[in-house]
Amino acid sequence: MFRRLAHLFEYLFRRRRLEDDLDEELRSSFDMIVDRFVERGMSPARARHAARLEFAGLEQVKENVRDGMVGSGLQALLQDTRYALRGLRRRPSFTVIALATLALGIGINTAIFSVFYGVLLHPLPYDHPEKLALIWAGFRTAGNARAPVSGAILGEIERRNRSLAGVAGIWTITRTFTGDNPEQVKCARVTTNFFDVLGVHADPAHGGRTFAKEDNGGPAIMLTDGFFRRRFAGDGRLVGKSLPMDWENTLVGILPPDFQLHFAPDSNVPADVRVFDTFDHRVYEGREQYFIRVVARLKQGVSLAEGQRDLDRVAKEIGGAYAEYASENLGFTLAGMQADAVRDVQPALAALFAGAVFVLSICCVNVASLLLARAGDRRKEMAVRLSLGASRCRIVRQLIAEGAVLCLLGGAAGIAVGWASFRGLLAIRPERLTRMADTGLSWPALAFAAACSLAAALLFGLVPAVDSLRLDFVATLRTGGRGWLGRLHRRAGAALIIGEIALGFVLVTGAALTARTLSKIERVHPGFEPRHLLAFQISNGIPGNAVADWEAQLAALSGVERVGATSQLPLDTDIPNWYSPYQPEGVDANQAATLVSDLRCVTPGYFAAMGARLLEGRYFNRDDRAGGRQVAIVDELLARTTWPGQSAIGRKIVAEHMAENGFEPRLSVVVGVVEHLHNHSLTKQVRGQIYMPFEQSPRSPLTFVLRAGVDPLSLVPAIRKMLHDRSKTAAMAKVTPMTEYLSREISPVSFTAVLAAIFGALALLLAGTGIYGVFNYQVSQRRPEMGIRMALGAHAGDVLRMVLREVGMLAAAGVLIGAVAALAAARWLGTLLYGVRPFDPLSYILALLFLPAAALLGGWRPAGRAAAANPAELIREE
Amino acid sequence: MDLLQGTLDLLVLRAVELAPMHGVGIADRIQQVTRGAFVVKPGSLFPALRRLEQRGWLEGEWAHSENNRRARYYKLTRGGRAQLAEEKRKWYRMTSAMNWMLESEG
Repeated sequence: MFRRLAHLFEYLFRRRRLEDDLDEELRSSFDMIVDRFVERGMSPARARHAARLEFAGLEQVKENVRDGMVGSGLQALLQDTRYALRGLRRRPSFTVIALATLALGIGINTAIFSVFYGVLLHPLPYDHPEKLALIWAGFRTAGNARAPVSGAILGEIERRNRSLAGVAGIWTITRTFTGDNPEQVKCARVTTNFFDVLGVHADPAHGGRTFAKEDNGGPAIMLTDGFFRRRFAGDGRLVGKSLPMDWENTLVGILPPDFQLHFAPDSNVPADVRVFDTFDHRVYEGREQYFIRVVARLKQGVSLAEGQRDLDRVAKEIGGAYAEYASENLGFTLAGMQADAVRDVQPALAALFAGAVFVLSICCVNVASLLLARAGDRRKEMAVRLSLGASRCRIVRQLIAEGAVLCLLGGAAGIAVGWASFRGLLAIRPERLTRMADTGLSWPALAFAAACSLAAALLFGLVPAVDSLRLDFVATLRTGGRGWLGRLHRRAGAALIIGEIALGFVLVTGAALTARTLSKIERVHPGFEPRHLLAFQISNGIPGNAVADWEAQLAALSGVERVGATSQLPLDTDIPNWYSPYQPEGVDANQAATLVSDLRCVTPGYFAAMGARLLEGRYFNRDDRAGGRQVAIVDELLARTTWPGQSAIGRKIVAEHMAENGFEPRLSVVVGVVEHLHNHSLTKQVRGQIYMPFEQSPRSPLTFVLRAGVDPLSLVPAIRKMLHDRSKTAAMAKVTPMTEYLSREISPVSFTAVLAAIFGALALLLAGTGIYGVFNYQVSQRRPEMGIRMALGAHAGDVLRMVLREVGMLAAAGVLIGAVAALAAARWLGTLLYGVRPFDPLSYILALLFLPAAALLGGWRPAGRAAAANPAELIREE
Repeated sequence: MDLLQGTLDLLVLRAVELAPMHGVGIADRIQQVTRGAFVVKPGSLFPALRRLEQRGWLEGEWAHSENNRRARYYKLTRGGRAQLAEEKRKWYRMTSAMNWMLESEG
């Protein structure tokens, strides 16, 4: 053993001496043989010739000796690697294209899949998250399938179900931390078992606990780790004490650092909740207001489908017990928590993932075709090396080494590209994809993408090896390297190009469709004028009777044009939507059962400040006071559906109002009709709207809107100072230009559009380089043919046309297949599109122009090369 | 006659059993003793020599040959001697087995 190691050492580090030794030994042996032949009477010259025959190649003998020695494998590997690097350096354009293709394929896929994994597949940070589900109430009569529940329903579900280990409720409000620097934060009110159902415990670092049954409606609060650190410096002594707040409280515990809420945006449970407190037990008595979101944990061994069947039964029982729920046709939907939280982004991500897979396929195809082309180029080299005495095994090893070096470099570049593009995606991600940062770059994804591209590279890198095994090198040297590989390449190359163009066509139409969707959405008129509009909330400073005064003060600020306030700002999903049934006068209760509208209370200046257009009647004014005649403004959608073809002005409706002791139905007169304001979605008019004067139906918190002639954010310091002068405990929150709400709404679409555009551009680039690679090779193979054609009288232009015609035919075939595939895919893309049909002609025309253009661009240089050649030279090469 | 697979080592070890020899001498000796049946070409002789040396069965040393050329002489080591004995035993076992098979009646 020791001796072998010593030899290995000697072999690796004293090669020089060993080689010299070998040289000398062989030389002296050679001389001895010559001597012997001379002794036998040959002339020295003949003797040397005879000796040379006997040795049959000094170099080959040496090579055999080296192969037989310990450590030769390692040595040969190093040598092969060096040789491979040299080979790659010698053909920089091949190397750059191959490496760039591998890097893009691996990198882009890794980044996209990392997003996909982080958002859709990475388990939620709760205990056994797969057992968690949301329960949505469905009011089939009103056509609302994803409604919150009332306290009474929550209680009934808890009592009657047989499949759930726990049922918890949550809804959000705002609270204000007082002190020198008052701060309004989002607060979630939860049932005391909420954290038990999720399986979350208080952070043991600070002691404390989660809520217990006795806390119900009491002062117990919990804080998130981030907020506790920021506002209270993570001071653990505060646990068990009361914090300065607009609410009587006792801090019972801190949530663990990785805790986060994950709810769908339409649940109005935002992720940036900072404080938790508990429901008042009286909540369970309320039957009228639907505002509670329900999270449930399935019992061990109970599937989602079984849980759903159980809840169907519960719904029927509740309908039997309460007449009003029966008439609403109440039902429940049990949805897996994770799937539900991402249901709105899932189609877009799935489409992007499919796009990334397409790009990966194109990359693999390209690498394969490049290597195939190179294999053809190298036939001659292989033949020469074989005839010089290289063993076939040695050549195969050499090729594997080249493939491996290419793969390693490509893989490393892929990791770099993957990391960089993931960073890039993080920078432009929509708010909905916040969880992306949690998981980071996904290594399994990297491994998968790398494995695909590398397999392609290794597989096709070995083509020359397979080729060399059946290579008759004399024949190859004679014919200059064409033969079965040339045929294989021409056929496979054509198939690869067609495939590439087809995939590219799908990607380009996809990109065009998403880009058109984005531009349509950006041009949607939301029912108000978002530019130069600032929105903010104020807590604890402006009592209801001071709102008018405060508005007047704001309006007096220089640069401010109009001021107003509303209970729920459009596109702000933090505050649970206020909506309920309404009943037009003269319509009986049964007929009116399906009529539901959004409700908002607004100050007189609101519509003018928002820039909402008045279609009929008047805005509210200072005379619409509490105690006066009850008035309402409705939107155009409600007016049209309730009183089709007639004026809404002067009509009377019964709608829910906010009164001192809760909600109560009141009769109001419609005095105005405004354009529909997009409360929930830019792309849809969700339901009609009824507006009431703030003074007749006061709700808090109010969101103030301020139309400015200057940059709205520049007004903030002045407003803050004014507020501070007015009240030391008041806090401004959610200070946001209205355009921000719009871009938040648009950001998932623009995210998709940016990525789709990148995919489309990549597809064009890759199709172009792929075609270039394939044709460049084929043209070089067919130079003799071109030479003969030109010698027989064809012009350069004819040759150019001939090559381009072939490119064109392949492009046409690819476009045809691609169009069929794109049409099939577009139908599936339907849900992601807005304002543009899946069969939008413009998008298809774009792809129809771009892909053949890329193909011709890729084929141009090879064709030019063929046409520029000198016929006499071409034929001489033969 | 072609060499049987694996017999080259045995032939080389046996050739140097009595006295150290250089490569050409070993090839000559094998050819002489086997009456020309086995001709070992340099292409297989030298790799075998180096391999046996690496295994520690032969030891190479530079010396002057009978007609005063510098040549590399190979000497059997102790390990080489043991290996030779082992190879011989194996060979006899195999040849007797072959003989029994070939000379068996019916």
